[in-house]
Amino acid sequence: MSNLAIALLVAAAVTACPALAVDHASHGKPGAPASTAAPADREKAWQEILAKPSLAVSADFDEKGRLWLAAIRGQHIYVSYSDDRGASQSAPVKVNAEPENILGDGENRPKIIVRKGVVYVSYTQGLAKPMTGDIRFSRSADDGKSFSAPLTVNDNHEIISHRFDSMTVNDKGHVYVVWLDKRDLSAAQKAGKKYSGAAIYYAMSDDGGGSFHGNVKIADYVCECCRTAMAVDTDGYPVVIWRHIYETNIRDHALVKLDGKMSPVRLSQENWDIAACPHHGPSLSIASDGIYHATWFSNAPEHHGLFYAHSADRGKTFSNPLNFGNFEAQPAHPYVLGLGNRVYLVWKEFDGERTSILGMLSNDGGKSWSAPRKLAATSDVSDNPLLIGENNRAYLSWNTKNEGYRLVEIGAEIK
Amino acid sequence: MKRLGLLMGLCLTVLFSAPSAAFAAQEIKPFVRGSYQQIIAARQGMPFIVSFWSLTCSYCMVELTMLKKLAKKYPKLDLVLVSTDTPEEEKLVAATLEKISPRNAEAWLFADSYADRLRFEVDKRWQGELPRTYFFGAKNEVKAYSGKLEREEVEQWIKEQYAP
Repeated sequence: MSNLAIALLVAAAVTACPALAVDHASHGKPGAPASTAAPADREKAWQEILAKPSLAVSADFDEKGRLWLAAIRGQHIYVSYSDDRGASQSAPVKVNAEPENILGDGENRPKIIVRKGVVYVSYTQGLAKPMTGDIRFSRSADDGKSFSAPLTVNDNHEIISHRFDSMTVNDKGHVYVVWLDKRDLSAAQKAGKKYSGAAIYYAMSDDGGGSFHGNVKIADYVCECCRTAMAVDTDGYPVVIWRHIYETNIRDHALVKLDGKMSPVRLSQENWDIAACPHHGPSLSIASDGIYHATWFSNAPEHHGLFYAHSADRGKTFSNPLNFGNFEAQPAHPYVLGLGNRVYLVWKEFDGERTSILGMLSNDGGKSWSAPRKLAATSDVSDNPLLIGENNRAYLSWNTKNEGYRLVEIGAEIK
Repeated sequence: MKRLGLLMGLCLTVLFSAPSAAFAAQEIKPFVRGSYQQIIAARQGMPFIVSFWSLTCSYCMVELTMLKKLAKKYPKLDLVLVSTDTPEEEKLVAATLEKISPRNAEAWLFADSYADRLRFEVDKRWQGELPRTYFFGAKNEVKAYSGKLEREEVEQWIKEQYAP
């Protein structure tokens, strides 16, 4: 009734959270619409909405400066390239010959990496039941003229969630794919046990993506629906970051290097206590000097908005996080790129009428930053912003409904 | 205008509070720019809860099921459920609501493909995390909450707000 009572209520909810909040499916209660037991009509309707058009476009530069793009059209991924920074594009080539439901909503997007003449593509295929998927991979060894039949990377084949893939390729041509996986939740449900969130798994290919070794679990109890991020360290091993579930429901970030030696460490300390998945994952870049650069979102009462931190000791410790973006303008989906000692950040803001991409630059490895500057804007829906680098130049890669795909060079004008 | 809105709100509350044996498919209203203010204006001086949810949010399903039980126990509870899905998903939203939504709740569905605009009108500080719940007290005090709510806490609020 009183303000105080409600404040107490909210405070109690924030601090106490007495029940272990697990994904509803883990309860297995009758009456609850468990994703593992959805009725046929719900599944049918789900199939229909999986076919929604997606604005997700991913991009990478190869060593020769050619821009490669992966986009979803209908039930196929198409790859095209551009030799003039996106102004004109080659005829798109179909990646998956057989139609599939390719997830491109929210934080889902196909991934594309081009190294030494090989085009690597990973994506999540939506399955029959709501919120389920498989991690898929395909590659082209003939300059993108044709793609291999996609293979499923996850070696658990239940109709459950294997989603939110990230991919990296190192100089040896080893391909790493990481994703969020509910097989442990599924096993716990069957055993009548509780399990909080999902697990995070990875698989590695040392034959250039021809086949993958068995799946390896990185960690249990991971926030279910936030994108993962991965980057290759200077020694060739990938580093992964994700939104973790600490204690009952603290949804802060974790980091691990997949060198077989490191155990996951905590990257962020906002203590965001939330019995939900915010669908808002982090971004990671490792510069040529070995500095890790990470950016993420939190909406904890005391520490909210966008954050950036760097690590000079390969992830063991991070700098005091920089809180950036205008918190009254819904700052969202930050992305980071480190090129030598120059570091770039881009993110989305919304002023009530228009969506803008803001950017800022550091010339000293992330220690000090320029003022934010508007790089692009639109008046309708848009993809999340990405950063790609080529020959020490940084570009914003952004697709919008109204303007289409844009590649905007950044750096020189942000001082 | 304001009085009319208040009157309509009252009527709706009475209408939806009445137990009905034969339940027809729930009406889902399109949530557009201005809808949030409309929802609030219709309820001046009365306690109510606005809960934002989505088909892609498993925690929301748990919360809706919990709210359904509370709505049954407290017929006076004025509950507004807003799905942040799209009009294309209305069939699925309706099917989900039919199964787990309280029958005396008012249902809305985001009907603007540029959903950022709708969210911004609701709360500049809401980045879309779900479930997102707003408690409007009788004295116009508002509290926002992200994440699945616990039944005890919602029940305590209901008891306080709807105390005789």
